Amino acid sequence: MSCSGPARLIYLDHGATSWPKPPGVAEAMARAVTGLGGNPGRGAYRLALDTSRAIHAARRGVAAFLGVPDAKDLLFQPGCTQAMNLVLFGLIRPGDRVVACSMEHNAVARPLNMLAERGVDVVVVDADEAGVVDPGDVETAVAAAPTRAVVCQHAGNVTGAIQPVADLADVAHAHGALLLVDGAQAGGHLEVGLASLRADAWACSGHKGLLGPQGIGILYLSPRCEPDELVAGGTGSGASEEPLQPRQRPDRYEAGTPNVPGILGLAAAVSWLSEHSAEQRTDERSLVRRLHEGLLELGGFRVLGPSPDTLRVPVVSVVHERLHADRLAFALDRRFGIAVRAGLHCAPWAHRTLGTLETGALRFGIGYGTAASDVDAALVALRQLSKERP
Amino acid sequence: MSVRPARIFRVLAFESTHAALDAEALLDDLGFDVVPVPAPAGLTANCGIALRLEPDDAGRAITYLARAGIAVAAIADVEDV
Repeated sequence: MSCSGPARLIYLDHGATSWPKPPGVAEAMARAVTGLGGNPGRGAYRLALDTSRAIHAARRGVAAFLGVPDAKDLLFQPGCTQAMNLVLFGLIRPGDRVVACSMEHNAVARPLNMLAERGVDVVVVDADEAGVVDPGDVETAVAAAPTRAVVCQHAGNVTGAIQPVADLADVAHAHGALLLVDGAQAGGHLEVGLASLRADAWACSGHKGLLGPQGIGILYLSPRCEPDELVAGGTGSGASEEPLQPRQRPDRYEAGTPNVPGILGLAAAVSWLSEHSAEQRTDERSLVRRLHEGLLELGGFRVLGPSPDTLRVPVVSVVHERLHADRLAFALDRRFGIAVRAGLHCAPWAHRTLGTLETGALRFGIGYGTAASDVDAALVALRQLSKERP
Repeated sequence: MSVRPARIFRVLAFESTHAALDAEALLDDLGFDVVPVPAPAGLTANCGIALRLEPDDAGRAITYLARAGIAVAAIADVEDV
């Protein structure tokens, strides 16, 4: 079945996934399928070796871009959600205590809810109206009782707010806790510098700001962070006769044949970012401010999260005083060819914090390929829609 | 058919493919004649890939690997097929 509507598409849902991809991504994935047929780490014949070397180079490239000192601590995972599940279920035990931020995505909130049912004490610290958690509030919560871990997003998928991750690392470490970070919205959009960030675990989607394909994500584990593996199986290395998973990284956490096209596509995207990220981020920050200020000028919209002059990742969510977010999103798509996402954005905790759990919000995501004319077209469309239904 | 004389090589095994390829890249950059080979059966803590070197080069190679923090899990002399 096809849907009628404008032929031109303006894609403003980069908070969900980036599209299009930068040059080289599709080509790298095609090469993985057509030219690198061997199974990496399984066999020393040349076809398998070429694939192994390509994965090795990809790991080094992504690690260098994110500031990971030792590439073996950078793990390829099926996605950020899978990575956060590995960290949370691999580290937290019944009877443990965890302090989390109230802006967490379901990739964290749902595992924490499951852990709470298993006897983990989950303490949620409220963020402020901009969506930012106060390290002092986190410290109060952590100091109240022995705490295994502090869990926090790096940047918000509803508000774009950036959390004070380095300060949270200080708080967690001062009290003997680990800091576990969901970096899904941060990678690519921010200079991450994992060595200086001092998180014990940091997970990220490959397909959002890192501009890679879907189905691949990454997880950094600091040398002292040793979650149990969630998946055991063949690694092509270690002593295969050993009954249990090898302990060395990255193999311990990468059982099974890896997603070679995804990994090489991600590496190509990161290679592009390595050359263009400064310019890309400047464009994103300019466009997100243009959008935010334009929305405020329209009137009738409440813009969630930080003020326009605050550094954020490039998502902006709004609630209109009369018009429902879902209907606005549908009209933007079908009448104006503008792709945005309405609803709760898999983040009910965040919407509860922001007072929008009942209404949801309309979210715009800016990224690679977004032009000023795209932002302006969205503003023109919203102005027309709000005038049509006074 | 003439009989080909056997050659002896020294083979280094590593704990992971990642470590083996780290070692290969380093030794290749340093100009060693290094060849990835299937890890011989019986080496403890082997990964699927081992590195084959001329026996006379192995000592120096191991020194460079140690300086780079790359651990060699096992060493064996093998006869070429």
